[in-house]
Amino acid sequence: MSRNKWFIAVLLISIALLSVASVLAQDNSVAFNSYSSDPVPRAFEESMVAAWNEAHPDMPVQHSIINHEDFKQAIRAYLIAEPAPDVLTWFAGNRARFFIDRGLIMDISDMWEAEGFDEAYAPGFNALATVGEGKYFLPTSYYWWAIYYRPSLFEKAGIEGEPETFDQLLDACDKLNAVGITPFTIGARFRWPAAAWFDYLNMRTNGPEFHVDLMLLKESYLDERLQATFANWQKLIDRKCFVESPAALDWQEAVDDMVQERAAMYLMGGFIVDSYPDEMEDDLDFFRFPIIDPAIPVGEDAPTDGYFIAAQARNPEGAKAFLAYLGSKEYQQAAFEQMGRLPTRTDVDISGATPPVQKGIQLIQSADYIAQFFDRDTTPPMAEVGMDGFMRFWDNPADINAILQDMENERLRILEEESE
Amino acid sequence: MAAALQIKKPVVRRRINWTPYLFLLAPLALYFVWIIAPTFYTIYLSLTNWNGVDPVPGFVGLQNFERLFTKDRTFSEALLNNVRWLVVFITIPTTLGLGLAMIFNNEMRGGRWYKISFYSPLVMSLPVIGLIWGWVYHPRAGLLNGFLQAIGVSSPPGWLGDRELAIWAVIIAAVWRQVGYVMVLYLAGLKNIDPSFVDAARVDGANRWQLFRHVVLPLLAPVTTIIVVISIIDSLRAFDLVSIMTRGAQNTQVLANFMYIEAFNNYRMGYGAAIAVVLFAISLVFIGFYLSRVIRDELEY
Repeated sequence: MSRNKWFIAVLLISIALLSVASVLAQDNSVAFNSYSSDPVPRAFEESMVAAWNEAHPDMPVQHSIINHEDFKQAIRAYLIAEPAPDVLTWFAGNRARFFIDRGLIMDISDMWEAEGFDEAYAPGFNALATVGEGKYFLPTSYYWWAIYYRPSLFEKAGIEGEPETFDQLLDACDKLNAVGITPFTIGARFRWPAAAWFDYLNMRTNGPEFHVDLMLLKESYLDERLQATFANWQKLIDRKCFVESPAALDWQEAVDDMVQERAAMYLMGGFIVDSYPDEMEDDLDFFRFPIIDPAIPVGEDAPTDGYFIAAQARNPEGAKAFLAYLGSKEYQQAAFEQMGRLPTRTDVDISGATPPVQKGIQLIQSADYIAQFFDRDTTPPMAEVGMDGFMRFWDNPADINAILQDMENERLRILEEESE
Repeated sequence: MAAALQIKKPVVRRRINWTPYLFLLAPLALYFVWIIAPTFYTIYLSLTNWNGVDPVPGFVGLQNFERLFTKDRTFSEALLNNVRWLVVFITIPTTLGLGLAMIFNNEMRGGRWYKISFYSPLVMSLPVIGLIWGWVYHPRAGLLNGFLQAIGVSSPPGWLGDRELAIWAVIIAAVWRQVGYVMVLYLAGLKNIDPSFVDAARVDGANRWQLFRHVVLPLLAPVTTIIVVISIIDSLRAFDLVSIMTRGAQNTQVLANFMYIEAFNNYRMGYGAAIAVVLFAISLVFIGFYLSRVIRDELEY
C-alpha cells in the first residue's frame, strides 16, 4: 500500500514538473509545421532547424513535418486553431491569397523591411508577397517550366535550332512525324500536365494579363479570346504533335517515351530531371515555350513555395525571427547548393550552377510575368473543372463550347459562393 | 389444496444490476462520439455552405441538394458510374463466385490451393490492387496490352486513359477482388446444406442440373440475399480504386471520390456533406433491408 502511495506521489509530482517544464519551454518556442515530407527536402530542413536550435537555445523551433497531401487538407484546421502553429510552409499566389483574404495570415511587412528583404528579393517575388499595402508571404524557392527535348532526335529529324515561334514548332512536329518520332509525349492521367498546355497557349495567345485575370475569375470563360487559345491547341492536335492517348500515362511513365526515343519533346517542370536517367542527361535540353504573338509580354510558369506566419500565431516575435532566418541569404545559399532549389533572392551566388540551371534562371528572369501554374493560380474547384475540361477537349475537340460553358458555370458558382 | 399450492411470492429487494450497463457505457460513448454525432453533424453541414475556415457555417437550406440534382454534371456522372458498378457487382462476381464455389465444393486434387489463390486478392488492400491493375493496364508495358500486341492487335486501347473504357477497367479490378469473397461465402453456404436433401434428390433421379437448380440454389437463397446486399453496399462505397487509379478523371467519378474532392480538395465542406448524405440515404435502404433479413434469420433460431 505504501509503495503504491509512493508511486502515485512520484507520478503526480513528475506530471506537475513536466507540465511546468513544458510551459516554460513553450514560452518562447516557435511551432513550425512543414510539408517538406520528401526525403531530400526533409533531411535538409531538419538540419537547418537543428542549426537554428543550436544557435538559439532560448527560442527553440518545434518542427513538425506532415505528409504533403495531408498538409494541404489539414492547413485549414491549423489556421483556425487557437493558437495556430507559428510558421507554416505554403504555395505562393492564389492558394495563399485565399487565407490572406480571410485574415488568417499575418502581415509581415515590418520583417521584410527590417531584414532588407525588399531590396534583396527579385521584383517578381516581391510582387508575389504583396497584397494591397502589406506583405504576407515569404517566397523562398521555385522551379521553371519549359519544353524539354532531346537534341539528338531533333538532329535526326533535321530540325535546326530550338523552335522560337509557333510556326517553327509546328514545322518541327511535321519533321519529327516524318521520321516516325512522336513530337510531344504527355502523361496526363492525373490531368495536371494538360493544364500546362493551357497556361502556355493562353499566355502566348492572349498575354499574361488576360490569363491572370482569368485565373482570378475576373474574366469570363466564354470570352472570344479563349476561342483563339483553343484554336491554337487544335492546330497542334491536327498536326499530330501529341502522343496518341495523352490520358493513358502518368507523368513519369511518359518520360520513358523520351528515354526510349519514341517521343522528342515534353512540356514539363524542371523536376523532370529527377525522373530522367542520369547517364542520359547530356542528351536532354529545354527551350522556352515558343512565341505566338511577338507583340505581347512573355509569361512563364514558375511555381513558388515559401513560408508565412499564421494570424493567430502564439509567438509572433519568435516566428518573425525564425522567418528572417528561413529567408536569409545563408539559408537560400544552402538550399541552392544542397538541393538545387532556385533562390528568390538576387544576392545568392549561383556561379556554381550547372549550365542547364543557369539557363533556367535566365528563362525566368527574362520573363515579363511569372505565373504559378493553373491549379495554384486559380481556385481549387475551378482547377478541378478546368483540368477536367482540358482532358475532355483533348478527347473530343468539337465539344469545346460545351466545355467552356461548364467552366463558366463553375466560375459563376464560385463568385456566388464568395459573395455569400 | 389450491391454497396450499399457492407459492408465496418471495420478497426480493428490487435491485437493478448496473454492471452490464457500466460495461456498455464505454462502447456506447465511443459509438456516440465517433458514429452517431458525426452523422448528425454531417447532416447539419449539408445544409450549410461551410468552407472549412469560416467560424460559423452559413445556413443555405436545401440549396446544396438542389444543385446536386439539377445542375451538377459530375454528380450525375458519379451516380451513373455507381449504378454501373452496382449492376456489374451483383451479376458478375455473384455468378462467378457461385460457379467457383460449386467447383471447389467437390474434393479435388489441389482444391485447397485453388481456393486460396482465388481468395488471396481479398487479403490485399485496395490501394495495392489499384497499383497492380494500373500496371496491368499500362498502355505500353502492361500485361494486358503486351498480350494483345503478342496476338497481333496493332493498336490496343489506352484503358485508363480512354474515356469510354476507363470506368469498366476500374470495375474489373474491383470484380477480381470480389469474386474470391463471394466464393468463400457460397462455400460456407454449401457446407451448411444438409446432405440428406442432396441424397434424396439423387435417389429421386435428379440429374446434376436439376439438383443444382431445384435443390442447391433454393437452399442457398439466404446466402445469395446477403451476398447481393453486400455487393450493393460495396459498390456504393467504391472509393479507393478510383482514387488510386484515375482520381476520378476520364469519366470515372464515383460518389465517394466526388465527395472527397468537393470537401477536401475544393474545400466545399457543406456541399461534400450533401453528397455524403445522398450516399448515406441510398445505402440506408439496402442496409435496412440487410439488417431486417439478418434479424429475421436470427429470430428463426
